[in-house]
Amino acid sequence: MAEAAQTTRIPLVERVLEANDEVAAANRAELQRRGIFSIDLIGAPGSGKTALLEATLRALEGRRHPAVLVGDLATRRDGDRLARWCDKVIQISTGQGCHLEASQVRDALAQIELGQVDLLFIENVGNLICPVGFDLGQSAKVGLFSLTEGDDKAAKHPYLVEAADLILLNKIDLMPHLSFDRRSFEADVRLLNPRVPILDVSATTGEGLDAWIAWLDR
Amino acid sequence: MLRVHEFSIAEALAAQVQRHAPAAGRVTEVDITVGALRGLEPEALRMSWEAVTHGTPIAGATLNVDLRPWTITCSTCGRTWPSPVPFVACECGDPSPVPTAGDELDLVALTIEEES
Repeated sequence: MAEAAQTTRIPLVERVLEANDEVAAANRAELQRRGIFSIDLIGAPGSGKTALLEATLRALEGRRHPAVLVGDLATRRDGDRLARWCDKVIQISTGQGCHLEASQVRDALAQIELGQVDLLFIENVGNLICPVGFDLGQSAKVGLFSLTEGDDKAAKHPYLVEAADLILLNKIDLMPHLSFDRRSFEADVRLLNPRVPILDVSATTGEGLDAWIAWLDR
Repeated sequence: MLRVHEFSIAEALAAQVQRHAPAAGRVTEVDITVGALRGLEPEALRMSWEAVTHGTPIAGATLNVDLRPWTITCSTCGRTWPSPVPFVACECGDPSPVPTAGDELDLVALTIEEES
């Protein structure tokens, strides 16, 4: 007779991303200890993440002391654009990775002299799904949508909308040229996240940036 | 084509399962619970799981995904029901009842086969 195999079911309760979450918690403690307000900026490719940060860094020049981490699949272009406005920019090339992980943020932070820094922007990889589930240790998650993506983009990405501390609606200057239903967009957001602030901005014209800067300065 | 979304989750899960796997014995089943908010597709997760475990000591282990649905609550008629999608109308006519879901992503059990 063949050998009998014994099967045992072992119950566990463990978060799958526990290893990432532990590093994120350490990042968060370090940033808080230094009094650095940090933002995980999440948006689709082409939503204007880098353009928004360029305009933001310009507006903060001489007043705040920002640092920027930029996640990108392969190029250094975003980092090079931002380096014109900020002397503390670290490009994180993720290769095949569709999101940033807490360990990449930890390693990038180790390359920056953080003593003077009071604000940290983390531009995540252009993607509305994967980055949401990976905690980086940020103070706030900002979801960036844009008019050209269509007014149902929020409804199609409920995890980001639910997790966001602020929603930015970029390219608002294009409103006259598009059939974007602003009320429908907001209604979808409100069903998932009743209290999240929604700010209309244009990184290109500067419209609405005052409110975003005021939110950063709170 | 695998969606990278599920792939990175499968990679993290495979590393986690290998840490738990006993030296003697074979992992035959892995049970996970996933909240609907995560937006993960069980089939894509299983395909990614097969790909990332291929050639490892846990190759061949079956991934069982317990996908927890959205809970839809209608403020007009008070009805509550589970739904695979967040935006649905209520049968009472309310076009936009409130969707809620969890974002859990938990390893809940391993089944180990030991030769006796």
